[in-house]
Amino acid sequence: MQPIPIIASVLIALSVGSNDTSNALGICIGCRIISFRRAVILFGVFVLIGILLQGRKVMKTVGKDIVEMDLRILGISLLVSAILIIISNWRRLPVSTHQVIIGSLTGSGTALGADVNYGSLFEIFLSWALSPLAAFFASIMLYRAMEKTLSKLPFLQIERIIRVLLLASGIIIAYTTGANELATILGPIIHAGLIDETWAFLGGSFLVFLGAVLLSNRIIETIGSGITALDPYSGFAAQFGAGCCVFLFTSLGMPISTTYCIIGGITGIGVLKGTGTVSVNLLKKIALSWILAPALAFLTCFTIIRTLI
Amino acid sequence: MLKELFLGGKKELEVVDKMKKHMGFLCSACTTLKAAIENWDKELISSVSDLEREGDIVRREIFSNIYEGAFLPFLRPNICRFVEIVDNALDVTKDAAIEYTDLELDEETKDDCARIADISAKMCEMLLAAIETLSGRADLREKSLAIRIYEKKVDEIEFDLLKRLRTKEIKNFWEGKALSDFIHDLTSISDLIEDASDYLQIINISLR
Repeated sequence: MQPIPIIASVLIALSVGSNDTSNALGICIGCRIISFRRAVILFGVFVLIGILLQGRKVMKTVGKDIVEMDLRILGISLLVSAILIIISNWRRLPVSTHQVIIGSLTGSGTALGADVNYGSLFEIFLSWALSPLAAFFASIMLYRAMEKTLSKLPFLQIERIIRVLLLASGIIIAYTTGANELATILGPIIHAGLIDETWAFLGGSFLVFLGAVLLSNRIIETIGSGITALDPYSGFAAQFGAGCCVFLFTSLGMPISTTYCIIGGITGIGVLKGTGTVSVNLLKKIALSWILAPALAFLTCFTIIRTLI
Repeated sequence: MLKELFLGGKKELEVVDKMKKHMGFLCSACTTLKAAIENWDKELISSVSDLEREGDIVRREIFSNIYEGAFLPFLRPNICRFVEIVDNALDVTKDAAIEYTDLELDEETKDDCARIADISAKMCEMLLAAIETLSGRADLREKSLAIRIYEKKVDEIEFDLLKRLRTKEIKNFWEGKALSDFIHDLTSISDLIEDASDYLQIINISLR
């Protein structure tokens, strides 16, 4: 049973790499500010810095606070999570790793009658609902502030500043991918004592990097241009607003989705520019996956455990 | 390093400098054409061709700089379009100069053509000044407006000139065609400069 959670974590880390490079640097790659190769290297480095500096709080929330962990819960939850995440990525749907992992852990824990901390779970649900909304408003405010300040500068200066800011916002997202997303994956296996923390940090970051190199192209298209047409101003405001939100929630130890914060940010800018520019159908699809992902993860784990064990 | 980070990158400044150089060739070509018409000096025609050739070299350099990553991709198509229009204006100036070598113009027509060439040269200078403002805080709108007013003047002169020329006797088809082509090319320069000015305005406002 012991290798199963490790193998599943490896698969999820690879998926995070493929999914979240687009969150972090998709806009920069789309705008050709940075080449794909340089982007993934930068992404990998900041994922490692993120988990080393700030990953422990989220790791504790996921690995210790939600459910009383045992090897069966861990194995089935992570395996089911890995399968669901891979299928979602394959279907080109930006799915939240946190939602799937937490849904699975809760489902397995409930089925086995383990002690589930509903208070902690409620806080996490609240963070999931609040974080995209916070990103929505943060991006709007940022966009407005940029319009008022940057537009007065000379053209060449604006161009340069936007380049630097877009890259900086990408780096923030890469950092929070390490501090939040990777911490969610590693939290359960580290707290179950399956792997040493240092090796988990290094190995996890490498796997995320590998996922970015091998698989990230597919989701970049959806994030970069699928929801609303982005100019560099909007791209920065959406990404930086989302980055700040994830950073804030990470500091509180909340495992929230960078993907949904960016979607919140992009939607905010879309609404600011006119609701016509936002693809409602795509948003509906994303909203559906937001509800379905944790529910499906919960039910799958619950059913498997009740049937097999 | 901070200066390079926030005051405009080296590549971008290089492109703007080359755009000015390219535009400078157009200014010189228009001024030379004006001098050639005013002084009946057909020797000057070869200098216009030389300026056009030099302009081509700078255009290629600009495209190469943009391909290497100067400016955000969001801006690149409009910058390329601007450079292409200026290059078309250079081509048309060269064509007008070459057509002029075969023409015999009466004094009144010559004066009108010289006026058109003079206005085109002034429009070029105005557009060059507009490019300069890209790296500063000055507003482009005044310069765009001045260019539009100049273009309107060229249209008025062209309208009167063509009206008068229709009453003149033409000896043969080729003489008429050469004259028509020359006037068409001469007046197209101002049209193209106006188009280029519009693109410069689009580039300028697209990040604001």
